[in-house]
Amino acid sequence: MIGFGLRLAVSGGREAITRLVVIAAAVAVGAGLLLATFAGVNAVNAQLTRVASLYPDPSAGGSDADPLWWTSREDYFHGSLITRVDVAATGASSPTPVGIPRTPGEGEFYASPAMQRLLAATAPDQLGARYPGRDLGTIGDAALTSPDSLVVIIGGAADQVGKLPHAVRLTSTGDNTPALPETVVDLIMSVIVAGLLFPVLIFIGTATRLSAARREQRFAAMRLVGATPRQISVIAAIEAAAAALAGTALGFVLFFLFRGSLAAVPFTGDPFFPSDLSLGVLNVLLVAVGVPAGAAVAAAVSLHRVRVSPLGVTRRATPRAPRWYRLLPLLLGLAELAFFLVGPKPETSDGQAAVFLPGLLLVMTGLLLAGPLLTMAGARLMARRATRPATLIAARRLADNPKAGFRAISGIMLALFITSVATGVITSIVANRGPAVVGSIEAATLSVNANDSPPTVAGPVLAGLRPIRGVSSTTILRKNPVKYADALVACADIPAVYGRCEAGATVAAVASGFVPYRQTVESSRVWPAAPVSVDALPQLPVESVVVGTDGSADAIEKARTVLELTFPAYYVGANVPGDFESEFANTLRGWQQLANVTIIASLALAGCSLAVSVVGGLVERKRPFSLLRLSGAPVRVLRRVVALESAVPMLTVAVVAVGIGLLAAQLFLGAQMHYTLEPPGAEFYLVVGAGLAVCLAVIASTLPLLERITGPETARSE
Amino acid sequence: MTIAIEARDVTFSFGTTPALRGANLAVEAGEVLAIMGPSGSGKSTLLHCLAGILVPDSGEILIDGVRIDTMTEARRSSMRRDRFGFVFQFGQLVPELTAAENVALPLLLSGVRRSEALGKAYAWFERLGLAGMEDRRSGELSGGQAQRVALARGLVAGPDVLFADEPTGALDSLTGEQVMDLMVDAAGEQGTTVVLVTHEPRVAAYAGREVIVRDGRVNAPDRIPS
Repeated sequence: MIGFGLRLAVSGGREAITRLVVIAAAVAVGAGLLLATFAGVNAVNAQLTRVASLYPDPSAGGSDADPLWWTSREDYFHGSLITRVDVAATGASSPTPVGIPRTPGEGEFYASPAMQRLLAATAPDQLGARYPGRDLGTIGDAALTSPDSLVVIIGGAADQVGKLPHAVRLTSTGDNTPALPETVVDLIMSVIVAGLLFPVLIFIGTATRLSAARREQRFAAMRLVGATPRQISVIAAIEAAAAALAGTALGFVLFFLFRGSLAAVPFTGDPFFPSDLSLGVLNVLLVAVGVPAGAAVAAAVSLHRVRVSPLGVTRRATPRAPRWYRLLPLLLGLAELAFFLVGPKPETSDGQAAVFLPGLLLVMTGLLLAGPLLTMAGARLMARRATRPATLIAARRLADNPKAGFRAISGIMLALFITSVATGVITSIVANRGPAVVGSIEAATLSVNANDSPPTVAGPVLAGLRPIRGVSSTTILRKNPVKYADALVACADIPAVYGRCEAGATVAAVASGFVPYRQTVESSRVWPAAPVSVDALPQLPVESVVVGTDGSADAIEKARTVLELTFPAYYVGANVPGDFESEFANTLRGWQQLANVTIIASLALAGCSLAVSVVGGLVERKRPFSLLRLSGAPVRVLRRVVALESAVPMLTVAVVAVGIGLLAAQLFLGAQMHYTLEPPGAEFYLVVGAGLAVCLAVIASTLPLLERITGPETARSE
Repeated sequence: MTIAIEARDVTFSFGTTPALRGANLAVEAGEVLAIMGPSGSGKSTLLHCLAGILVPDSGEILIDGVRIDTMTEARRSSMRRDRFGFVFQFGQLVPELTAAENVALPLLLSGVRRSEALGKAYAWFERLGLAGMEDRRSGELSGGQAQRVALARGLVAGPDVLFADEPTGALDSLTGEQVMDLMVDAAGEQGTTVVLVTHEPRVAAYAGREVIVRDGRVNAPDRIPS
């Protein structure tokens, strides 16, 4: 039966070959994207493993080698993260850090290629002065997150490095292999499978159903000579699987062809090394076997809805109308997400994923189940109010078989839902935790934690900062003798842009960097008085230093260099509010790019399904449509029927999917992060608009067929 | 007598195969004309040329003295919609629409309001013995019922001419006779000219006049209208 099915698949004339090629092309795109995503997850894992190598775990290893002192700190330059590692060997057998040939000694350092380029291109007082000493060479890829990583490994004396914050003693290096948490991988995989694989399978199913209707004579003849419906299903499934197999092979070719270009896209905020985009055996097997098998199942399932009898192929008579209970999963999913908005919330990331993942999956499933019901309700309403024949025909068709009408657009709904959730969450997190707005006072304010330095440090640091052009204020904040209380500053020293003291006060308690957590700088802010005399302040340790600048990169980086050289002992260097978060925001923006790629690919695939479905509808009704045209119905009426049957549900579904996606994002953000949803930016709407435009273009591409198959010859020849 | 439709020396070929070779025909207003002939003689092609569906390779087609073979497709479509009705052998009903909506379709296409169009459509169901079937779909109608719905659709807009191409070809003889009775009666009541293509003498007998098409030419009338 398999051989017979294969022979039929390839010997069915031009139409059969075209059908095979179209299915194979769609599967190739889907398989290629699936492979890219698997490789992407592996690449992120590889990146994270190398990131972890810069923050080693002292409990790992356990050899009796001389320990290596190690401490990692975060430094910044123009908003980019520089990872600074201070190391000191304590003996000949001390392990060597990953990525360099030997441990640098005091006054020596290794730098990553990107760091070396940056050092060469930047004035020393802005950057190079922070890492004095001899450049020993380049850090290898094994210690770099990405080709653009800024890393410097600096050698020091053991007694100095050992006193630095978070210093650890290592007896081995390079044996830390943390990976993405399993729940996170599950989440990513579920989203990918739903977002990419589902539209591919829907497309294959739709194409198979259409091709079954087109091959009705062949199937009917086979039934007439005794083939069972099961055998017919097997033949159709073999054809779909053969096309999917060819498509999958092409998908592998596409993946390896574009792997280099893909690696350069900073999906995680940093580009990958091409070798990071690797595929595991399980990944290869899943795609190579899973996609063709999925295609065969989709084809077999799709034929269940078509009756192939010895007298021809017909769709099953009037399908049952969808019932109200199809709404339940959607409502349950939304209710679950809403419950955690007001109820108890899981504390850990794994716990959050365990709660929200089922909620999101339930909403996704609910959308797919509720879709036909909503399509029917909308179509019935449209039919009742229709005054034009095209509207009436389209609405009646959708109301008659809403499942078929919705199936073609379900991929679009899923793609848009996933992207809306991702974009809603990402936009809101970036807005709440992103870098300071360029031009704002925050973006021009640099501060450093002085780690309770002795009072005597104040004079030299002020002397170093004040001559820098562009520095407008320098303020020393002192350690509050009250534990955990805000830092202290003389009221006379508070620059006007950061607020003022309450009336009568001489010393105020102020927030770190003059900016309370998650707030902005306010000149009208009134800082509370502190019960400390102005005279006592100079004797208190220096808690932090705040430098106001004109916002220029030169001023900020020169001031940062002075602060870092003065206060080398804290694990985060001098920073502008948002320097921390900008890295995280970059990562999220990278994921946003991935979401954008997914949506355009999914929408294109869904558009193909829709087009196949449109063609199926036209083929089914070519005679009545043709006779309508003979009777004088303008072809534009028929075009309008096609547009209303496909474009209107598609656009309606797009609005519903985006709306529910943003609602789910709001429920997640509100419950877990206490953020309010930030409306997505213009880019999101542009991407959605572009994706929908692609779908509309695909639908429009079927219109010439409409004119061709409803010409007078159809009425004559049939 | 007024000539409603006239074909003058019409030729038409499908590729290199000639279907009409200088056909001449005149149809008087209000008459029922049967075009007969064997399979492949060109009778359906002649009907399609008369109805402005096909444009002759040469010759003229005149409706009420106005040439339609020189009109644009848009004008001919508009004329077919507003002045002609059509009944074909099978498969004419839009499957998604109810019987009443199918009948109302030509009126809706001409811009008539939906309630008014449906009102006029409903009136035809009683007249054609289809009362109670207004809300059925084409799949729920027998062949004869579907053909009567198609007849109602062809006549609902009160066309000047009804073109019927083998209207009983898919029906048994009894049902076919019922449909022909209804067609001739209803057209007569409205004063609609009927051009009927058939190869069945029994069906042609309903016409006031018959012409025979052979090898793409129209033979002289065999029978003078009574």
